[in-house]
Amino acid sequence: MNKIFIAATSKVAAADLPSARLGPRFARLDLQSQMALLAVESLGVDFQEFSPDRVAVCLAAKIGSLSTDVEFWNGRDGAGGPSPTLFAYTLPSAAIGEIAIRHKLTGPNLCFVDDDKILLSEAADLIQRGEADYCVCVSCAVVTAAAAELIQIPPETGACAVFLQRGEGLRELTEFDRDMKSLCANFCRPKISG
Amino acid sequence: MREPPANFPTPVAIAGCGATTAVGRGVEALRSALRANSSGLRACEKFDSPRFQSKITGAIPQTGNDNDNPAWQFATDALEEARSSALEILKKIPAERIGLVLSTTKANIAALERISENRLCSETARRHLQGNFLAADLAAAHGARGPVQCVSVACVSGLVAIQQAAKLIQRGAADAVFVVGVDTLSNFVMAGFTALKAIDPNGCRPFDKDRCGLSPGEAGAAIVLVGQASSLCSSKSQLDRQDACPTIKILGWGGSNDANHLTGPSRDGSGLARAIRSALKMSKLLPAEIDYINAHGTGTPYNDAMESIALKNVFGEACPPFSGAKGMLGHTLGAAGVVETILCAIAMQEKFLPGTPRLNTIAEGVPAGLVREPRSVAKINRVLKLNTGFGGANGALILGHE
Amino acid sequence: MNISMNELKANIIESLRLQDITPEKIDDDAPLFGTGLGLDSIDALELVVMLERDYGIVIKDIAEGRPAFQSVRTLADFIAVKRPK
Repeated sequence: MNKIFIAATSKVAAADLPSARLGPRFARLDLQSQMALLAVESLGVDFQEFSPDRVAVCLAAKIGSLSTDVEFWNGRDGAGGPSPTLFAYTLPSAAIGEIAIRHKLTGPNLCFVDDDKILLSEAADLIQRGEADYCVCVSCAVVTAAAAELIQIPPETGACAVFLQRGEGLRELTEFDRDMKSLCANFCRPKISG
Repeated sequence: MREPPANFPTPVAIAGCGATTAVGRGVEALRSALRANSSGLRACEKFDSPRFQSKITGAIPQTGNDNDNPAWQFATDALEEARSSALEILKKIPAERIGLVLSTTKANIAALERISENRLCSETARRHLQGNFLAADLAAAHGARGPVQCVSVACVSGLVAIQQAAKLIQRGAADAVFVVGVDTLSNFVMAGFTALKAIDPNGCRPFDKDRCGLSPGEAGAAIVLVGQASSLCSSKSQLDRQDACPTIKILGWGGSNDANHLTGPSRDGSGLARAIRSALKMSKLLPAEIDYINAHGTGTPYNDAMESIALKNVFGEACPPFSGAKGMLGHTLGAAGVVETILCAIAMQEKFLPGTPRLNTIAEGVPAGLVREPRSVAKINRVLKLNTGFGGANGALILGHE
Repeated sequence: MNISMNELKANIIESLRLQDITPEKIDDDAPLFGTGLGLDSIDALELVVMLERDYGIVIKDIAEGRPAFQSVRTLADFIAVKRPK
C-alpha cells in the first residue's frame, strides 16, 4: 500500500482577501467560499496535471455555514425578499462546489461540520481505499461577528489547505498530523500573488 | 496512518432502523405508506403566507407543541426506535465500540429563527445550531462512546454518512455505528427555496410531465450499522429471533462532483453516472445485476431530467425498475439519504418494488423502468440508491440482500 | 417616466455583486445571459429580487421575466411598462 504524502500546504487570513482576484464571480461568493478558494489557490498546485475525477475535495467547516445562514436570515425582510444567491451558500459544502467549479475537480467529496482533527485521516483513507488518487483538504474557520454573537464564541476568519497524494511529496502524512493549522504554518509555501 | 485491511473484509450490515416522517412515527408507518403508495404531503398552515411559494410540505404530524429543538426531537425519536430494533446485537457491543455519524444540512436552525424573534430558546437548542454538538450530544445520550462525526454534503449527506459509518467499521474503529439523518421544516428553508422559485405550488410530482418543483419535507431517520463479524450471528440461543442476524449489507458506494453550477446539475448527468459506476465497481457488480433503483427524484424539471439521462448513460435501454419517494415524504435534505435507504431495506426485506407516489403522467425522456404502483417481485437483492445535491454533489449506494 | 439606463446598470452591478465592471462597460443591447455579461439562472432570480426592491415590480413566475432579461434595453422597457405608477 502506497504511503500518503503532503505535497503542498497553505494558510490564508482575511487580510488576503482584498487582493484576491479569483474570477469575475468572486465577490458573489459567501465569505467561507472565498476563504476556501483562496486557500486552494495558495497551494500553488496545477490541477490540470491530474485526472479530474481522481481528485477528491474534502472540507472541514468549523461552524458549518452558520455565518452565511445568519446573513441570509437577517436579510429576509429586505424589499424583494431574501437573496437566492445567498441561500445557495447556506450549506457547508457550497465551498466545495465552488472549488470544484473553479478547478474542475469531479472526484468524491467529504464535508464535516467541526474543526479539522479528522479531516486529513479521512482524506487519506479515501486515497488508501482507491476512491481518489489526490485530495484537496480545506479547513475553514469563518465566524462573523453576527455568528459569534449567536453561538457565543470569538469571531475568526481563516482557512488552510493541504494537498495529499500517493508516493511522493514534501513529507509523509503520519497519524500525528491532526492539527492542520500548525501543519500548514510549518510548511507554508509562498502565496500566489495577483 | 493505520492501514485498512487489504481486502476490506468486514461486511457491514443494517441491524436496525427508525424513522419519523411525514407519514407518521415509526418504520411501520413507512412500510404501510410504501405498500399503499400514499403521500404524506399536505397543507401546513404555518407556511400559509405570501412569503412562501407553497404551504404543501412533508411535515411530521405534530401535536402542535412549540418545540425549540425539533432537530433533537426527531433525531432522538428515530434513534430510539433504531436502537430498540437492534437491541439483541447492541447488547453484545461495548459503548466504546459504538460510533455515531450525523447527517444534517441545517441542524437545529429553529434556534436561529427563535433567537432572532426574541422567542424562548433554550441553551441546548442554541447549542444544537452546530451539527457537531448535536452529533456529540446524541452519541452521549444513546450510549455511543466511540467515534462521532457530523457530515453535511447538501442532499447527498445521508449517503455520505452511511459510507463514513461503514468505513469506521471496516477500519476497525467501531463495531457498530448509529447513522442519524435529520432536517426540519423551517421558515429558513421555505424562504430559501421560495427565493430560488424551486417549490411546486401544488406538491411535487417526481418524473411527471407536469412537474415544476420540489416539496420541502422533514424527517428524523436512523440506521444501526454493524460489522457482520461471525461472532455476532453465530450463537443463537432460544432468545434469538430468527431474523436477528442482519442480512442487508452495504456493498459499495461512489461519489462525484459535477463541477458545473452551484444549484443546477450538469445537464448531461455525467457526474451522477460516474458515481453510479464507482459504486458498481466497489460492489463488484455489473449494471445488469441491479434489481431496483431508488432515485433522488425531487420533482424539479432539471433534476429529474438529468437523472433520467444518467440512468440511460449507465444502463442503456435496459434500465432496472426504479421509483422515487419524494412524492411521499417530500425532500428531507440531510435526512433523505438515510430515510430513503430505509425504504430500500423495507422493500428488500418484503420483496416488493416501491412505486412513485403522486405520479400522474410520466414525462417524456424518463426511462421505461419507472414503477408507478408497488408490486411484489421474486427477487430484489441488489438495490442502488441515488441522491444529488447543491454544490454539484452526487452519491450512489448499493445494498445487497441474501 | 424614463428609466435611467445608467442607474439600471448600477443596480444590476450592485445586485449581482459584479466585480471590475462599471455601468459604462455594459452595452445597452448586449445579451445578459449566456454570452455578454454571462449571467446564469441564479442571477436571473437575483434580478427578480432587484426588480421588486428597486422598482416595485413583483414577478410571480420566472417565465414572465425571461423575455425582459434579454438585454439591459429590454429590461428597461419591461420596467417602464410594469412599474407601478
